This record gives sequence, C-alpha cells and structure tokens, in this order.
Amino acid sequence: MAFLEINGLRKRFGSVEILKGIDVDLEKGGFLVLVGPSGCGKSTLLNTIAGLETITEGEIRVDGRTINDLHPSKRDIAMVFQSYALYPNMTVAGNIAFGMEMRGVPAQERQKAIDKVAKVLQIGHLLQRKPSQLSGGQRQRVAMGRALVRDPKLFLFDEPLSNLDAKLRVDMRIEIKRLHATTGTTIVYVTHDQIEAMTLATKIAVMRDGEVQQFGTPAEIYNNPTNLFVADFMGSPAMNLIPATIGGNGNALSVVLQREAREPISLPLADAPSGLSAFHDKPIIFGVRPEALTDPEGAERNASNIATADCHIEVVEPAGSDTFAVTNLGGKAVVARLRADANIQPGTSTPLAFNLTKAVFFDPATENRIL
Amino acid sequence: MSVIATPARQSTGGISARTVNRVVIYGLLALFALFYLMPLFVMLVTSFKTMDEIQNGNMLALPQAPTFEPWLKAWGETCVGLTCAGIKGYFWNSIKMVVPAVLISTLLGALNGYVLTKWRFRGHTLVFGLMLFACFIPFQSVLLPMATILGSLGRFGVTLRNATGLSFGLGNPTVNLVFVHVVYGLGFTTLFFRNYYEAFPTELVKAAQVDGASFFQIFRRIMLPNSMPIFVVTVIYQFTNIWNDFLFASAYAGTGDAMPMTVALNNVVNTSTGVVEYNVNMAAAMIAALPTLLVYVVAGRYFVRGLMAGAVKG
Repeated sequence: MAFLEINGLRKRFGSVEILKGIDVDLEKGGFLVLVGPSGCGKSTLLNTIAGLETITEGEIRVDGRTINDLHPSKRDIAMVFQSYALYPNMTVAGNIAFGMEMRGVPAQERQKAIDKVAKVLQIGHLLQRKPSQLSGGQRQRVAMGRALVRDPKLFLFDEPLSNLDAKLRVDMRIEIKRLHATTGTTIVYVTHDQIEAMTLATKIAVMRDGEVQQFGTPAEIYNNPTNLFVADFMGSPAMNLIPATIGGNGNALSVVLQREAREPISLPLADAPSGLSAFHDKPIIFGVRPEALTDPEGAERNASNIATADCHIEVVEPAGSDTFAVTNLGGKAVVARLRADANIQPGTSTPLAFNLTKAVFFDPATENRIL
Repeated sequence: MSVIATPARQSTGGISARTVNRVVIYGLLALFALFYLMPLFVMLVTSFKTMDEIQNGNMLALPQAPTFEPWLKAWGETCVGLTCAGIKGYFWNSIKMVVPAVLISTLLGALNGYVLTKWRFRGHTLVFGLMLFACFIPFQSVLLPMATILGSLGRFGVTLRNATGLSFGLGNPTVNLVFVHVVYGLGFTTLFFRNYYEAFPTELVKAAQVDGASFFQIFRRIMLPNSMPIFVVTVIYQFTNIWNDFLFASAYAGTGDAMPMTVALNNVVNTSTGVVEYNVNMAAAMIAALPTLLVYVVAGRYFVRGLMAGAVKG
C-alpha cells in the first residue's frame, strides 16, 4: 500500500469542476511533482491534501489513514508556500517555533528544535531577524525550516522557487534535492516549471484542466508521453511535433514529411508501433525531440533505427553547449540539436539524422499516442 | 541627470517660469493656511487675556499680561447650566465614553474585516454591502428608533436590578452612548479593516492554520500585530468622531451627570450670567479640542501612512 493515496478526488466550486477525478499515489520517501500550466488545478490539489480546501468527492490517505475531513494541523503535514508566508511580526526563531507554540511544546524543547533546524539549513545567524530583513533565498530557507521543524509525515511545496531569480532557483533546487536525499521525507511539490519537475521528482503527474494527463517516472513522462499535451509540455526545447502521413506498404511503413518546394522526405520505419498500420495514408503527428534529430556524426551510435535526410537549414542558434538548427518540415519550424562545433550554415542543405527509435506518433483527432 | 538637465533649462529660460509657479503655489497655500489657522489663533490668544483686555483691545493682538486664570476657571469653576464646578467632570465623562467606544468598535471592525476577507461565507458581499450602507444612514434618522431601543434597554436594566441587584450598566447614559457609537461606528471600522485585510496575504492565514492556530489565535497573533497602520487610522477616525459628536450626546445624555464634553461646552457658552466671559469660553473650547489634537499629533504620521497602505504593492 502506498504512503500517499489519492483516489477519485473531485472538487467543485458551484457548477465548475476544478478537479475531475484525480488518482495518484506515492511511496514512502518519494518525491511527487504536480506540474502543469496555470489554472490546471495543481495548487488546488495540493491545498486539498493540506486541508486548506475541502473536497467534493474521493479520498486522501496518508500512511493508511484517511485524512479527508481532518483540520490542516491534525494531518501531520507541513507546507512551504509560494510567497513563503513568513509571519512579518515575528523573528525567524518565532516563525519556526510558532507551530510548536500552538501545540503547547515547552520553551526549552522549542529552542532545541530551532537550533537543530537552524544548523541543518545554516540560518543560525538569522534567528533574531525579522523576515523583512532577509533576502529572498534566506526567506526561502526559513520557510523550509518552519516546515522541517515539525518533522511531518508529508511535506507540501507550493511553487517554492518561483519568486527567486534564475541562479538562486537552481541553487535552491539542488538544496531541496539534497534535503530530500538526506532526510528521506515524502514530498509533494507543485510547479509549472517542467525542468524542476524533471530534476526533482521520483514521480510526476502532468495535469491539465483538472485531470492528470500522465502519471509516471520522469523518464516515462519524457520518453513515452501518452498524448500530445504531455509531449509538448515536457522538455526544453519542446518536442518537434510535425504533421506527417504514413506511407510504405505492409510491414515496411514509412513516415512522409512534406517540405516546402521540394519532394517530401520519406523515413523508413524499422520497428513501427503496431497501431500505426491502421493509419496508412492517413495524417498523423510525428514527434521527435531535438536531441533525436542531429547531425549524422553526432547521432547515437547504438540506436537501431536511424534515418538520414537532407534538410534546408533556416536558422542556426549556437547556445554554447549545443548548436540548435531550425529547419522546416510539414509546415512547421523543427529544431535539431547538434554538437557545439557542428559546421553548419543557415541557408544551406545539410543531412540530419532522425533517431526513429526515440520517435513517437500521435493521432491528430484524439491527440493520443499511437502504440 | 542634473548634468544634462541644467543647460537645457537655462537655454529655454525655464527657471523663471518655475519660480513663478512656485511662488503662486506656496503663496496660495500660505493664504489658505492663514485663513484656516486664524480662528485657532484668536481662540488661543483670547484664552490667555483678561476680560478688560478683551473688551478694550484688538481681537488679534497678543495678550499683554498672559494669564492662566481663564483656563483654570474653565477647568474648575465655570458654570455649566446651574452647577458651577467647571468642565473637568464632563471632560472625564467624555473620556469614559470615548475610550471604550473606540476600542470596542475598532476591535469589532477588525474582527468583521477578518471574517469578511479570510473566512468567507455565502453572501459575504451582501453582508459587507449592508454594513457599508450603514455608513451612509444620516444620524437624524436613527435618533428616535434608537431612543426607543435605549428606553427598552433601560427598562430591562431596571428589571435586572430588581431581580439580581445588578443592572449591568443597562440604562446608564454613558453605556448608552458607548452602545450607540459602537453600533454607528461599526460600518466605518469594518470598511477600513475589510479593505486592509483584502490586501493582506491569505497565505499567512493558511500557514497559521497548518501550524495549528485557531480562529482567534490567528486573529490575535497574525492579523492584529500586522494591522498597526489601519488600527491607528481607525482609532483616530473613531476618536475624533465620537469625541466631537454633539447630536447623540445631547439627545441621549443631554442633561445630568453623564453629559459629555461637547454638550457641556455648549452649555458653558449658553449660560448667561451677566458678562459673557469670552476668555473662559475660549479656554473651555480649547480644552474640549485638545484630546483630538493630541491623538492626531501622536499618531498622525501613521494616519497618512495608513491611508496610503495598500495603494502600492510592497
């Protein structure tokens, strides 16, 4: 039995359904990231776990105990808020100890707990300051300290890094990951940043419009997206989703990509998914990630199915670590990821290698993956 | 910035236009200030003069032999109606009425604002709308209904006293006035606090809930300590209004020992025993105005800050 179980969770505000039947579970010590565009219900879901929002239907269980109707303080959870929500009238120490004070923990024990947390987060020198005297990163640490000191069963993070600048965000991301590794706590984390999701999570739930689109490990989500939305949302730069048709015959299918003012490209598929034969001569969406579309020398050596085709390069973007080349296929701009030192000029034609082992196909009508 | 701006100004001759603007603006401001401060000046000056000097001298002239006599007389000896014991008793009457009325109405307003923003219930906008409406009900229209209610409360107080020996203050004119001012002030104090708490981060309340704080613990430990600016605004507003109120005071405590300062002052000025003692009247008026002045001077800087709070984020 999983540590955190959410079964058939629904939440309605009047006639509007915000959460439309969420089923998610997480093992003890796991790190679940709820990711999705704004308004997808991820924060609402987190608030229902925290008990700050009531639920209309369904069940939330933590460690085998149903917590649906418990007051937030009785759920044995701690939460880190997006704005940190530090009490401005109290010192850092007062902020960290407030929860214990409310539960009637004696002053001596409180002091001990504060010192312990301050040591872990290296905020000992800040304890007597007010939140207004702290920098963004320090506030973030104090907010985490306030959560840590409770030693709860479940940590909830609501977009904790979105108020920090880009560099600090990366630092704190590593810090959170280290904290998770050393303390072994169970964490539910909300973000709209898919990189945070990929780097932190042991499990990701990609959400849209109050529904979980896909639930799985970061690798599953990245390599085997179940529908167009997940494929498009996860990954940066985003996956190339190219309108194409299926050609060839019998068991030798191929993907046909239209090009501007030139004959179409036909890429033979060695081990096409079985569902694809039903789409013969029909339109599909061909999905290939930028790193699976590269210069022939840089292509993965042990990939079984690589097809090479000449492509007209429109734009070249050197990004330091890689060079991105933009070509046009099927009427869409398609990004290829080449080695940093790839010798490539805009306006020329260059052979590009399609790693078809990593390619995915979608039905344009249902937007679902063709398997 | 100045390096670039200076030559530009010189070339267009902007300095003189600027100076003229300044002179006009400050001149007008000084004129209005003078106009506004003149009565206060006359009052102050007159209150330190002897009656001879007032009758024979210039109203604007400074006192030739400044004397505190009128102030002492106003405080301790002057006649209010038929009793001649000064206005000191009535001053304390007002304090006894104002302090509880201000504190109760402010605290209730804070509580209302807290509930209307952080513990929303169905129809909270309607409730707030009705409370807002209460701000615009003219005083006069509630005089008679309120008198009826206070009368009933008074009779209930008598019944209580007969039954238990204690009236719990019901029927006491000071308590009546506190009640009236609390009820009437609630609309304003709720408006102030609701608007302040509307911009108050709800995440703080949520964090406190997760920390296990109760409804009143959140109010006392999180909301109130962070409400200083609006608290000061509300206290100044309520204090000034209630201290200066004449209509309710004269209607519900216009006679007898509980008479507040405003009514007493009116009676001092209206008492006609021979010569009108302008110096004493002015001194009494100054004493009556002092507390509101004092409150503003002490807390005034918070007043301006409080009115600005929430206007700009951060």
